Amino acid sequence: MHPFDYYKPKDFDEAFAMLTQPGKKVIPLAGSTDIIPMVRDERWLPDAVVDIKGLPGLRDIKLVDSGPLCCAGQTAQCLYIGAAARMNEIAHSELVQQYASVLAQAAQEVGHEQVRNRATLGGNMGTASPAGDTLSALLVLEADVLVKGKDEERCIPALKFFLGPRKTALQPGEIILGVQVPPLPEGTLGRYLRISRRKGADLAIVGLSVMAIPAEGGYQWRIGLGAVAPTPIRVPEAETILATGHDEATVEKAIQATLAAARPIDDIRATAAYRREMVVQLTRRALQDIIAQIP
Amino acid sequence: MLHEITLNVNGELHIVPVKSHHTLLTVLREQLGITSPKRGCENGECGACTVLYDGKPVNSCMVLAVEAEGHVIETVESLAKNGELHPLQKSFIEHNAVQCGFCTPGMLMSAKGLLAENPHPTEEEIKHALAGNLCRCTGYVRIIDAIKDVADHS
Repeated sequence: MHPFDYYKPKDFDEAFAMLTQPGKKVIPLAGSTDIIPMVRDERWLPDAVVDIKGLPGLRDIKLVDSGPLCCAGQTAQCLYIGAAARMNEIAHSELVQQYASVLAQAAQEVGHEQVRNRATLGGNMGTASPAGDTLSALLVLEADVLVKGKDEERCIPALKFFLGPRKTALQPGEIILGVQVPPLPEGTLGRYLRISRRKGADLAIVGLSVMAIPAEGGYQWRIGLGAVAPTPIRVPEAETILATGHDEATVEKAIQATLAAARPIDDIRATAAYRREMVVQLTRRALQDIIAQIP
Repeated sequence: MLHEITLNVNGELHIVPVKSHHTLLTVLREQLGITSPKRGCENGECGACTVLYDGKPVNSCMVLAVEAEGHVIETVESLAKNGELHPLQKSFIEHNAVQCGFCTPGMLMSAKGLLAENPHPTEEEIKHALAGNLCRCTGYVRIIDAIKDVADHS
């Protein structure tokens, strides 16, 4: 494997200095499950990695008050998930199951047991693969991403965080501290579904996050898709249709609107045509699942 | 870059110099001589290198050795006590759950991790826990039976 140096900073100042060494390619490391295969395949050739998972707060899963940056203006507490929280910690967390069920479900679908014991939420986000399971869940949760550079922290809505395949809104030297999920009303329903070639140890061919949020006289819907566009996407057209109701004819219209939003490509995992068909099937299945739970 | 670290493997502390980019798998096999974790895909897919890391199954090819300092590593070498095989090992033998044997250490460690967390898993839960362990002799049924037997009789 291509050799690189390893640093473990004791605080954020040291981390920033290590990540911004002039003339060097330095990658932040948390779970290692993306970095090691990418370096071995020589797709990434870092001079160094900076192990950030031990930095304060990065593995917390807790409720936090609204802040000046993320979660601003919220009257109830937000769910904070540190960037280095492992997929299994997220999937098994009662707090995440309660406050962000769709994210707990998505984390449970990542890789397999061994990977979920290492892979982190921040790593999934930083790698920004369009197929990353947790990403469409973050979009429908309208999570905020708290990031930190040299001195300043800033908050980026998840909807503006993913810019392209493996491209995020992070500036050089910035690391993800965690995400904050705004509070949702009681009775909110969420579902993450995915299709992959095999059930474990594979990336999604299509991933789908759906939420139904109780609103005046009905439900407000959110739909997010993964692996069918250069970034995870929301499908506002389908969400608008579902706001009018969820009878069979309306659901079919919403499925067609979701299909229209998908822009899949052919790759080693599936053809674009198969992905389009699976968007239809998954959307129908997820909507029916949620509708069946509506009291 | 070289790091002088202490690795806790199977209850023994090893002071070992490791290179930044070397994986835990490489250091276990090539520096500590602990060869039950197998080098399979080296891509986090096959599970032949599975070890317990603080009690949880991980692929040792997906961990840098230097990251493992301060953590508790267990391999198959730790299973037998005083010459007596672990119940999972006995059950694998009784059920003929071994053909070529290459996947077996990883299967055993995944099974141990599962039973520590969930002593009485259903067949579905066993399959889910083993999804990251491939057997190319296609012996899954016997492996699942062997684990289920231990779970049912513990």
